[in-house]
Amino acid sequence: MKFGKRLKQQMLETLPGWRDKFLSYKELKKLVRLISSAPTLSNGSFEFGKAEEEFVYLLNNEIEKFNAFFMEQEEDFVIRHKELQQRVQRVVDTWGPNGSQPSETDYKAEMAKIRKDIVDFHGEMVLLVNYSNVNYTGLAKILKKYDKRTGGLLRLPFIQKVLQQPFFTTDLISKLVKECESTIDAVFPVQDGEQTREEREAITVAEEGIFRNTVAALQTMEELRRGGSSTYGHFSLPPLNVPDSDLIQSFQVNSPIPILY
Amino acid sequence: MEARPALSIQRSGTKQLSNMGMSGSLSSSLPILPGPLEESYPKLPDSQHVSMERELVTRPLTHASRLPSASGVVGHMFSSSPGFSTDLHYSSLSPVERHSRNSPFISHASTNGACLPLTHTTHSGSLPSTASHHYAKENSASWHTDSLPSFLDFPVNTAIENSQVESSSCNAVLGSEEFNKWADQLISDDDPLASDWNELLGDTNVTDLEPKMAYQVSKPSPNFQANQSQVHLQLPAPSGEIRAIATPSSSSNSGPAKPRMRWTPELHEAFVEAVNQLGGSERATPKGVLKLMKVEGLTIYHVKSHLQKYRTARYRPESSEGSSEKKLTQIEEMSSFDLKTSSEITEALRMQMEVQKRLHEQLEIQRNLQLRIEEQGRCLQMMFEKQCKSGIDRLNATASTLENPPAPSSDAVPDSPAKSELEASQVDPYKTGSDPVNANTGLEESSQELGGKQKAPEGKAPQSFGPDACESSSQSLKRPRTDE
Repeated sequence: MKFGKRLKQQMLETLPGWRDKFLSYKELKKLVRLISSAPTLSNGSFEFGKAEEEFVYLLNNEIEKFNAFFMEQEEDFVIRHKELQQRVQRVVDTWGPNGSQPSETDYKAEMAKIRKDIVDFHGEMVLLVNYSNVNYTGLAKILKKYDKRTGGLLRLPFIQKVLQQPFFTTDLISKLVKECESTIDAVFPVQDGEQTREEREAITVAEEGIFRNTVAALQTMEELRRGGSSTYGHFSLPPLNVPDSDLIQSFQVNSPIPILY
Repeated sequence: MEARPALSIQRSGTKQLSNMGMSGSLSSSLPILPGPLEESYPKLPDSQHVSMERELVTRPLTHASRLPSASGVVGHMFSSSPGFSTDLHYSSLSPVERHSRNSPFISHASTNGACLPLTHTTHSGSLPSTASHHYAKENSASWHTDSLPSFLDFPVNTAIENSQVESSSCNAVLGSEEFNKWADQLISDDDPLASDWNELLGDTNVTDLEPKMAYQVSKPSPNFQANQSQVHLQLPAPSGEIRAIATPSSSSNSGPAKPRMRWTPELHEAFVEAVNQLGGSERATPKGVLKLMKVEGLTIYHVKSHLQKYRTARYRPESSEGSSEKKLTQIEEMSSFDLKTSSEITEALRMQMEVQKRLHEQLEIQRNLQLRIEEQGRCLQMMFEKQCKSGIDRLNATASTLENPPAPSSDAVPDSPAKSELEASQVDPYKTGSDPVNANTGLEESSQELGGKQKAPEGKAPQSFGPDACESSSQSLKRPRTDE
């Protein structure tokens, strides 16, 4: 149930359009319970076969949902990525030092906006990767539960298929993320001087949607990997190793402190 | 007995299926065919894959003829198909792929008419798993609407135009003569029901789509017939290729009316170029862009929706970068908040970046781990099967001496060595004790199953497996083995 709760929390904190695109973990769990508790069901019986079919049918629907959403978002990201690059280029070419109308104020203003947009864009992409992962994890857990409770052998072959689904193959997005990071490095001014942790905390948590979601996602991952799951076993992930977990802890995003613009 | 809502729904759903299927089969026995074929598309349209598909195709056909009593048959067929079978090749096909390829087929069915889509969808819905449309339980009408939207998003009519546009290019893609044969079969049976399907589509499409598109729906079948063979041929490869992300240039391919196109940066580049050539995003038309791009498998619908997104993406930033007046006010605002604020903002953004980067890192790591875990699981599974096969042969000789009681415990052994091997290579130190127990119960139950289930033979894979598995904790569990 831990995962279920965490999933719910992520869904709440997620970007609004995404809320209904996640795995219906609870419903599927209920179904598993239903199937496993039916006394007359024994493996090999016709009814069990049908119950399994239904279960698989639902899972497939979920997967289709993920795929559709994921690819839609991916397409958007591909477009926006290119647009951002072009935008940076335009700003540099127009108001940059070597541009057609060099103007430091304009340049700075535009760059500030671009920075914000790029960081948000980066965040959204990472959240999509997270979306993919959370749903995959949920599926894996549900399958494990199913196998465990019904003695079925659904998990292994099914998960192999899931691994090849578009929503799980996040390579392109990851690539875009990395490219975005290098663009950001280019666009951000060189970091001058140290800032105390306090200061940073005070000004942090600017963006409600993306940032909160990101932090929630990291926290979920931490918890998930800490173990304690009922299906922890040979196919489970090892504990998480987040180098700066206290950094994450410091972002208690319950009451965001908006930066006044 | 307690009412099992899930199952009862299932039963009613099954009836539905039978009805649908029957109506489908009444009109033609073939409609069933496309479904499974559709679903058995491998990722790459190799001819060897094609031959596998043909095998699978014949199965449903025999079932089709027995549809009235289908529920049992169907159930069996379904449960045996979606990857539960020992046919590894087939199991590598994703049910989702099948599912999603239904739509390309459905839209194709529009070109072929027939209640093909109906039975097809039935199959698509059921073949992956269950006969019941759990979500569309009420009536067939709602079922239609449920299944329709899935491909209405990708209006079928575009397939029509698409098929004409692409027929020539698509032939190149396939070129397998087996497809030709299959396509011919399909074509011959489709005509009678063409109007049905178009009507159906026409209704829903008109409401959802622009008049221009709707018009295309009502195009008469003659158009389709000319292109049908090509259209059919077009089906398998593109929808296969769309999933094969690896292929760079052809990564843009997609099923004719399954507009779940996976846009890559390269494809987008080509798109942007085409748009620019046509005078910009406002001026460019989907048709023009499609023509310019010359990408196989790309439908006008894909282009249209992509163009829409493109325009939206451009419009917003441009309007904010805006005119000089806007710019001035923004600059004034900026300067009134002194630099401290802006650096604070920058800092905040940096923080955000930190967290985001961290999350991304972790996600990548997690994903790799997940992949590895499953990879291992798969390898072990294959090992089991290999061992089982040799074990079975050996045991057949001593079959008379084998009794049931020892079976469950011996069943446990193959599983736990596998698990302990996994253990050895993974970090988690736990559940060493409890897993064999789980394995036992799991295997006991599963050993009672026949057919399709992979583990059944496992119990017969005795000594040969033992030495192979990692020696660590399997020693104690080998005990029951000895009497065999």
